[in-house]
Amino acid sequence: MAGYILRRLVSTIAVMVMVGIFVFLLLRLAPGDPAAMIAGRSATEEMIAGIREQLGLNDPMPVQFMHWVGDMLAGDFGTSILAGRPVLELLSQRLEPTLSLAILTMILAVTIGVSFGVLAAWRAGGFVDRILTGFSALGYSVPVFVIGFFLIYFFAVRTHWLPVQGYVPMSNGIALWFMHLILPTVTLGLGFIAFIARVTRASMLEVLSEDYMRTAVAKGASSYAMLFHHALKNAGVPILTVVGISFAYLIGGVVITETVFNLPGIGRLVVDAINNRDYPIIQSVLILTSGLYVLINLTVDLTYMLIDPRIRY
Amino acid sequence: MHISRRDLIKLSVSAGAAFAAPSILRAQAASADTRVVRVVLDQLPSGFDPHNTTSANTGNHALAIYDMLFGFDSQRVARPQMIGNWGVSEDRKTYTFALRDGLGFHDGTPVTAADCVASIRRWGAGSSGGKLLMERTKDVSKKDDKTFTIELREPFELLIEALASPSQLLAIMREKDANLPPAEQVTANIGSGPFRFNHALAKPGASFTYDRNEKYVPRNEAPDGFAGGKIVKVDRAIWENIADQQTALAALQAGEIDLLLTCPPDFYSTVEGDPNLQLQLVVKGGQCMFARVNFLQPPFDNVKARQALLHLVDQEAFLSVLAPDPRYVHPMTSMFGNGSPYTNDENTGWYKKGGDPEKAKQLFKEAGYAGEKVVILDSTDWAQGDVSAQLLASELKKIGVNAELAPSDWAGIVARRANKGPAEKGGWNVHISSWPNGAFSDPLGCALLSANGENAWYGWPKNDEYEALRAKWAAVETMDERKALARKMQHLWWDFVGAVFLGQAVSPSARRKTLTGVISTDGSAPMWNMQKAEA
Repeated sequence: MAGYILRRLVSTIAVMVMVGIFVFLLLRLAPGDPAAMIAGRSATEEMIAGIREQLGLNDPMPVQFMHWVGDMLAGDFGTSILAGRPVLELLSQRLEPTLSLAILTMILAVTIGVSFGVLAAWRAGGFVDRILTGFSALGYSVPVFVIGFFLIYFFAVRTHWLPVQGYVPMSNGIALWFMHLILPTVTLGLGFIAFIARVTRASMLEVLSEDYMRTAVAKGASSYAMLFHHALKNAGVPILTVVGISFAYLIGGVVITETVFNLPGIGRLVVDAINNRDYPIIQSVLILTSGLYVLINLTVDLTYMLIDPRIRY
Repeated sequence: MHISRRDLIKLSVSAGAAFAAPSILRAQAASADTRVVRVVLDQLPSGFDPHNTTSANTGNHALAIYDMLFGFDSQRVARPQMIGNWGVSEDRKTYTFALRDGLGFHDGTPVTAADCVASIRRWGAGSSGGKLLMERTKDVSKKDDKTFTIELREPFELLIEALASPSQLLAIMREKDANLPPAEQVTANIGSGPFRFNHALAKPGASFTYDRNEKYVPRNEAPDGFAGGKIVKVDRAIWENIADQQTALAALQAGEIDLLLTCPPDFYSTVEGDPNLQLQLVVKGGQCMFARVNFLQPPFDNVKARQALLHLVDQEAFLSVLAPDPRYVHPMTSMFGNGSPYTNDENTGWYKKGGDPEKAKQLFKEAGYAGEKVVILDSTDWAQGDVSAQLLASELKKIGVNAELAPSDWAGIVARRANKGPAEKGGWNVHISSWPNGAFSDPLGCALLSANGENAWYGWPKNDEYEALRAKWAAVETMDERKALARKMQHLWWDFVGAVFLGQAVSPSARRKTLTGVISTDGSAPMWNMQKAEA
C-alpha cells in the first residue's frame, strides 16, 4: 500500500505542475492587464506603462515563468498584484470561511442525504419514496441564489432571526460563527442532500436486491440490521466517492453561495482575482486546489478499505 | 413516561432560550455597533496608492487616512486644510506655505515640510494635475520644519486648485513613502488623516477597517465638502465589499450595514417604502457617460462621421434605459459637465437633443462610409456600459452602419483600448466609459478633454488650435476670463467632436435613518462626520 500512496503523491505533484503551466499560459494569453486595473478607469497610457514596468509585466513570458517557478520552489507563492500582500496570507484569510461552510454543508448533506436515500430505497416505489424523489428533483433544479434570497427574506429581513450576510470567525464566538453559517449551509446543502440521497438510493436498491439480503430477511434480521448493518455498508463505496468529490468541490469555493451571503471565501477571492487579472492569486489558488483535489481523492480511495475489506492496494 | 412539573419548566425555559438565542445575540451585536458604521462604498480599492491610480475607490480610501494641503468646499472653492498660512510673491511665482500645528502621522511622527515636499514631487510625477504643476515648477523646497515653497517658472493661477483637487488627490505621505518610485505602490497606509487604517483587520476583497485617529486635530471650521473640520464621531468605520446588490439591500434593511453608496434604480421604491431607510444624494455629481471614437481609424477619422454620431445619439433615450428614474438623470451638452462654473451652451445648437437618424445617415454617407465594420467595445461586467454599447449598436444598425459589439470584461476592454490599429487587427472604433461629473470642470486635469494626438487619452483626437487654448487655461487670472476661454474651447471641441456624451446619471445612496452627517460631495464619499443613533 505504501508504494500505492507514494505513486499517488508523485502523480499529485505531476498534476500540479501541469495545472501550473496551463494556468500560467492561459492567463498570459487572455486579454487583460493588471496594471490597467490598478491605474483605474481614466488612467493614461503613460501611467499604465509605468505600473506595468514596475510590476515586471514587460519581462518576456519565459522570464516571468522562471521567476514564478523559482519562487514557488522556494515556498513563495508570490504577492498579490493589487492587494500588495502575500498570496498565502490572503489564502489563509479565506480558508476558514470556505472550510467552515464546506464542513457544515457536508455534515448536513451526509446526515440527511444518506437517511433520505436509505428511507427511499427501503420504501422504493411507495409514497415516501415519491416524496423524497420529488424533494431531490427540487433540490437539484432550484438555483442556489433563489433558495438563498428566499431564506434571506424570511429568516433575516422579515423575522430578524438570522443575519443576512457576512462571516464571523470562530474565534469571535461559536454562536455568532454558527448563526452566520446557518443560511448559507442550508442553501448550499439542499443540492448536496438531493445528490447524496439519489446516489444512496440507487446504491441501496442494488444491494437490497442481492441474494445475501434475501438470506438475511429469511434468517429473520430486523429492518434496522438489514438496512444499516448489511446494506448500507455494502452500498458505501459509491456514497463515499460522491461525498469525497462533493467535499473537494466545496473546498474549491462556491462562488454563488459566497456572493449571495457575502462570505469572504476562496471562490470569491478567485473570481475577484480573475476580474482584476491578479495573476499570482489565480495561479496559486488553482495549483493548490488541484493538489488538494487529488489528495482528497486519495484519502477517499484509502477509506474504501475501511468499509470494504475486499479492497486492497 | 412521567413528566414532572419541574421537567416541564426546564423544557419550556430551554425551548424559549433556543428560540430567543439568535435575537439576543443579534441585539448584543447591534448595541455594540452604535460606535461603528458599516458602509458599502462600491468596490474596495484595488490599489492603496492614490498617486498612481485614478480609481475613485482608492480616492475614498485615501481621503480617510491621508490629509490634504487644501480641500474644496461644497462650492468648489479651495480652502486650507493642513495649511495654516500661505502667501504668494508679487510676481506670483513663489508660493510659501506653513503647516498648521498639531499635525502628526499615525506612526507618531510629526508631519513636516519635508514630507509635503516629497509628496508633492511624487504626486507631480503621477497625476495629471500634478504633472501640469511640475511642468511649470522650478523648485519645491523646504524652508524649515513647517514651511515650504513652490517656485514657478511662470505664474500658474490654478496652483491652489490643483493642490486641492479631489481627483487623484495630493495625499501627504511620510517622506520615506513618498520617495518610492512613482510607479511603485505605497502600501504602508500611514497618513495623517482622520482615520487610521487597521492592517490587522484588513481583508482585501472583503472588508477594510478604519479606526478613528484619536490624535487628529481637526480644523475649527464646520465641515463643508472636503474642507472644514474633519471630525470623526464614531470609533470605527468598516468598508464592506458586498458584491451582490440584492444582498446589500437586505443587509441595509436588516441593519447590518448603514450606508449603500450606490443604490440601483430598481431599489428606490423599496428604500422609499421602508420607514427605516432614506435615499440621499451623497455623490451629487454622479457619472457622465460618454462614447469616445477612435480618431485614427475609419470611419471616425472623418469629422463628418463623428458629427453623425452626435446627431444619432438621443441622450434622453439612453438615459431612460441607463437610469429610469427622471429625478436622477440629466442630459449633458457642455464639455465642462453639468453645474460647473464653466458649463455653457457654445456651439451646441446644431446637434442639441440628437436623435436625428436621417441626418446621421446622410453624414455617414458624406464621410464616405462604405459599410466597413464599426467595432464597439462592450464591457459585459459593467451593466451601464453594456446597455449603452448595445443601444448604440442597435441605433447604428438602423441607419445601415455595420456595427459589431466586441464583448469582454472590463479588464479585457482596458487592454484592447490601447490598440491604435484597425479593428480587424485587434483595434476598435467606439469605446464607452464614464467619469465623475466634477472631473469635466478641470480641462487640464481631465485627460478626456485633451486633444494632443497620440498623447491624448484613448481615441487620440488632435486639434492644435484647441490645445493652444487649453494651454492658456492655467494662466488666465479671473473667473470671467476663464469662462470666456471655456466658451472658445467648447466651440472647437464640438467642431471636431471630442466625445459623444450619453448623459449624466446620478445614483442616490441608501442609508439607515439612524445614520446622519453623511457629507455630500461632487465625486467622493468621505467617512468623517458620520454618526449613528440607537435604532
